[in-house]
Amino acid sequence: MDKDSFYPQRVFITKDSEPLPLTQRILKNLHHLPVEGIQNPQDLIEDIKMSRDPVAEGKKCLLVTLQKGSFVKSCPCTPQYIGCNYFIINSDLNCPLDCSYCILQLYLDNPLITVHTNSEKLWNQLDNFLNKRRNRSLRIGTGELGDSLALDHITERSKDFIRYFSARSHAQFELKTKTININNILGIKPPGNAVIAWSLNSHQMAQMEEVGTPDIYKRLEAARLVSRAGYRVAFHFDPVIYYQGWEEGYAEVIDDMMMRIDPKKIAWISLGSLRFPPALKSVIMKRFPQTKIIYEEFIEGKDGKLRYPKPIRLWLYERIVEFLRKAGGKKIPLYFCMESRDVWQEILEIKIRGKEDVQKLLALPLGES
Amino acid sequence: MNLKQISLDDIDLKDERFRFSYHYDLRRLLLSIKKIGLVNPPVVVNRDHRFILVTGWKRICVYLELSLTPLPVFILEQDDDLRAFLFSLYENLAHRDFNLLERAEIVCRLKGFIEDEKRLVKEYLPLLGIPPTLPYLDLYVKISQLEPSWKKVIFEKKISLASVGLLIEFGASELELLVPLILPLSHNKQKQILDDLIQISRKEEISLKKILEAERIQSVLQSEKLSSLQKAERVRILLRKERHPSLSAWKESFEASLKRARLSKEVILGSSSFFENGEFSVTFSLKDKEEFSKRLARLQKLISDEDFISLFKRPPDG
Repeated sequence: MDKDSFYPQRVFITKDSEPLPLTQRILKNLHHLPVEGIQNPQDLIEDIKMSRDPVAEGKKCLLVTLQKGSFVKSCPCTPQYIGCNYFIINSDLNCPLDCSYCILQLYLDNPLITVHTNSEKLWNQLDNFLNKRRNRSLRIGTGELGDSLALDHITERSKDFIRYFSARSHAQFELKTKTININNILGIKPPGNAVIAWSLNSHQMAQMEEVGTPDIYKRLEAARLVSRAGYRVAFHFDPVIYYQGWEEGYAEVIDDMMMRIDPKKIAWISLGSLRFPPALKSVIMKRFPQTKIIYEEFIEGKDGKLRYPKPIRLWLYERIVEFLRKAGGKKIPLYFCMESRDVWQEILEIKIRGKEDVQKLLALPLGES
Repeated sequence: MNLKQISLDDIDLKDERFRFSYHYDLRRLLLSIKKIGLVNPPVVVNRDHRFILVTGWKRICVYLELSLTPLPVFILEQDDDLRAFLFSLYENLAHRDFNLLERAEIVCRLKGFIEDEKRLVKEYLPLLGIPPTLPYLDLYVKISQLEPSWKKVIFEKKISLASVGLLIEFGASELELLVPLILPLSHNKQKQILDDLIQISRKEEISLKKILEAERIQSVLQSEKLSSLQKAERVRILLRKERHPSLSAWKESFEASLKRARLSKEVILGSSSFFENGEFSVTFSLKDKEEFSKRLARLQKLISDEDFISLFKRPPDG
């Protein structure tokens, strides 16, 4: 556990989650903090939502409760662009990191950092889900609605997930993070189907726009340690941000990444340029008055989100792919997040008909984990 | 409540602790009181042997204008200011909607009476149709703190909440420049001009004053030939271009190429919004077989027209 690891200022535990083993583990790891028991989290959520900065207030609190809905969902991706055929596990919501561009500032109705501790239901739902798809390979992960490892020193959930998936080799399980919270991962034997992924950006953008995250050197060093321990790793350049000096910024990080990590250990790299729903802009303006990334030129994409005009996106992708190839990453599978068919074609020279093709591109052949 | 006849001098009209309406048209009420007299007497409370008006500011204004006396009033037996204010609030709420400035004044008065901000937000903002959050409380308090002259403009010109929310971020000298500029425009365009100004200012780290003092904008503003609407519209377009230089340049270049290709009026070439899906469309109209043949021949000819072909090129990077 890093000295900068997150600890909440307030911990709330719903009565119905209190006896559960994961809740007890969390309580043990937070023994130095006072804990408030609550019946129904809705009043608390409404109270935080009333705040001047509900996002910041929510990040100070940890809510331990039950997942009443479904743990496993299809990645919603975005309408009108090529999807990734990814499945998401909603075990935790929100994260303590505070990235200016984060869509969760707008997306979630519950601003509190929330851990769902009814693991039995999670494993049952995962069993059902995976059994139904036992004859096909798939990708699944936890990093969609929160950072996969930001709370791992509190929940130690990475170990549970990796152990669970080690016996289900047709699924590639991904933990996606910006943190260096890797102690639990390093403590267990890496199965072939676990992928530990880092979201990366240029040093300048990470420093300015990703508040509370470890710097890029630290992230890459954590990736090196994890890959040296035998895990496959992945990287997500998402969002790629267009700013004065972006080419040098991304080239430097890519060179560093490729020097530290054996390309054969890289399961995939994704690219996605900055995009956000129009309503997020005013939230970013208010919460991050110093940021300039939202004042570039954007168009309204086919999905209604603001994104860079296509020539700019193509320019960004062309150069980044070139940097990756030059640095020794010619064989690393690349994919785009929320991009159009013609961008795939123009940059990667791959004809993608739909999300099934993306899955094929990134799939680990059955039985190879 | 007791009904009593009092002199207007018995009311301390300088004490506006329960007042939330400042801008109104008195003509109808004036006519009504002239014709049939006062039907609903104002309500007052007694504080330190003086009467303070709780409801009935319009009626008092008419009485003053017509120099009528004595004034029938209901005396509300209520020592608590918040409750007296709520009397006025609910009395009004029962029969009318509040305008933006009234809502702002109500919020500001309530803030003076209620220490617990979250209680105020939760219990009273929904009554006013305001989302129950602290940022909205802050927004309405800020609106209530605007100079009376700006409030008058907002009321008379019916400036939208979206634009007022942006205007309150500016200082007095900036408002002097901005308000007259945006007034002739529609609500949407007012907001667009303010958004663009704020975003240019943040991106370039220059003051709004400096943006508006630029020569190309000043030459529009100082033109004697242009009406205020024309000036506002031209400044809006200049700011749009400044905010979106590449997109504007691509659009202009596309339109120029289109012009050079000299398509006839009957043939329209359209592109997807900012070339996002890379598709173009051709629409043409015709009356008969002969015209159909003409249009097709014209279109066929375009294939060897370099200007026309240049339309399909991807705009340059960066």
